[in-house]
Amino acid sequence: MSLTKKPGGKALEILQNLPRITLANLRADPGTKKAEKKRGRGQHGGNRSGRGHKGERQRGNRPRLGFEGGQSPFYLSIPKYGYNDGHSRRPQYQPLSLKRLQYLIDLGRVDPTQPIDLTQLVNGRGLTIQPLKRDYGVQLVDEGADIFAAKVNIEVQMASEGTIAAIERNGGVITTGFYDPRSLTVLCKPVPFFLTGQPIPKRILPGENLVPYYTDAVNRGYLADPEKIQQARLALAKKYGYILPDISKDELYHMLSMRKDMRQIFFGLSPGWVVNMAEKKILKPVDKELLRYYNS
Amino acid sequence: MATSLLGRRTAIFCWAFRGILPTTSVLSDSFPRGILHQIANYNPKPLKLNLKDPYIPDKEGQKTPEWQKTLKYDRKLYGRYGSASGIDPEKLWPSPAKLEEIIAEEREWNPSLEVMLENIGAREKELAAKRLAKEKLIAANMAKMPKMVADWRKEKRDTKMKAREDKDKRARLLAEARERFGFAIDPRSARFQEMVGEIEKEERKKKKLMKRKLKIEQSLTPVAEAPAAST
Repeated sequence: MSLTKKPGGKALEILQNLPRITLANLRADPGTKKAEKKRGRGQHGGNRSGRGHKGERQRGNRPRLGFEGGQSPFYLSIPKYGYNDGHSRRPQYQPLSLKRLQYLIDLGRVDPTQPIDLTQLVNGRGLTIQPLKRDYGVQLVDEGADIFAAKVNIEVQMASEGTIAAIERNGGVITTGFYDPRSLTVLCKPVPFFLTGQPIPKRILPGENLVPYYTDAVNRGYLADPEKIQQARLALAKKYGYILPDISKDELYHMLSMRKDMRQIFFGLSPGWVVNMAEKKILKPVDKELLRYYNS
Repeated sequence: MATSLLGRRTAIFCWAFRGILPTTSVLSDSFPRGILHQIANYNPKPLKLNLKDPYIPDKEGQKTPEWQKTLKYDRKLYGRYGSASGIDPEKLWPSPAKLEEIIAEEREWNPSLEVMLENIGAREKELAAKRLAKEKLIAANMAKMPKMVADWRKEKRDTKMKAREDKDKRARLLAEARERFGFAIDPRSARFQEMVGEIEKEERKKKKLMKRKLKIEQSLTPVAEAPAAST
């Protein structure tokens, strides 16, 4: 019998002979857990337990925050002005920094070899969108623009100029697209939507206040002219001082040039189709009127 | 690390580099040599569709609640069980009447892109026109300003001078009256007024005489010039 060394050696022997691990055998690393401070114990901490002497303070009956003993409180004496009018109805865009996007790509939670959509970001648990809380999508934020180094085809709802520059500098493509609240719910949670058995709705166009934003090539809007977008790309490269890479020479050119139609919610699925999850089938309408409605 | 973060919903790691393709369509020969591309495919929570023991309510039964006989519930049944639910797939899309309703609503509430762009253009034009008109008005008024300022200054100067002249005149008259009457007379009395009237008459006579003289001189000089010119 050859003298083969057992892998693990003495440590494995010890582990095998020790009793089973239970809560009774475990202890935290010294210094990680600090003892909780208990009120009302000891010569100095006891007696009134840090509550003071009599009155509302000791008896825990102090009035509400902001009360000034009957004097007109500050928060009521300042008159209202329209800064916050309708604040709860304003559209909100969840911020996504380029730093976080790079983090998600590096960890493999978001696939840069496929077009990145809000669905992909939510699937990778990159961010949480609440369409019912007046969220209208995601906005790209400049933080991490200096370290961003991923070539992606990304579609967001709003993007700042710096983020557009950062993405295009790395040879990527960015588009801003509008999703009305219903489409956004469908986009963020596709599977529960498919289980309801409804046909995929068509995206509604933005309202008049947002149409200028999405028809502008500077914002890479999905309603903008593609030629103007190309010009805007060159102008931005000049402004920020980088050489615009030619994506037509790229291997992933086909993927990078994939863009959604203005009524489309998912790549590869048209409005009007019903997705059958149980049998993994897609049903398409045949009726002329329905087709006319869904293709308009 | 990523696996522990995301729990049971993740963590099929596909190592994609040249030669080994993951389930996503990645161009294997496109990747440069030596770069590992790690993609965590989306591994979703298992869908508990319960296809073995589906509950499909009895449409005609009296005990089944009303909400289980609605179109919405039928669609949900189909969405969950597929053709095993026994629902006619035609019901999934809106009926012709409902579709017309939807189209009418959309026509009313969601105008087309062209219409919206027109509206925006019109509004912007209006605003621009207003702004232009205002600016023109301001420019015109500002152009008038130097003249108005000069006029105002002149007016001020004139009033001042006039006031000064009036004062001087009053002082002179008082002095004159004093000389004539020999004592300080109240300017409001009747004698003073008479005196003033007399002085004015004298002045007017003087002026008339002066005018006549000027006229005579003027009539003489053209006569003198004409013969000089003719000769």
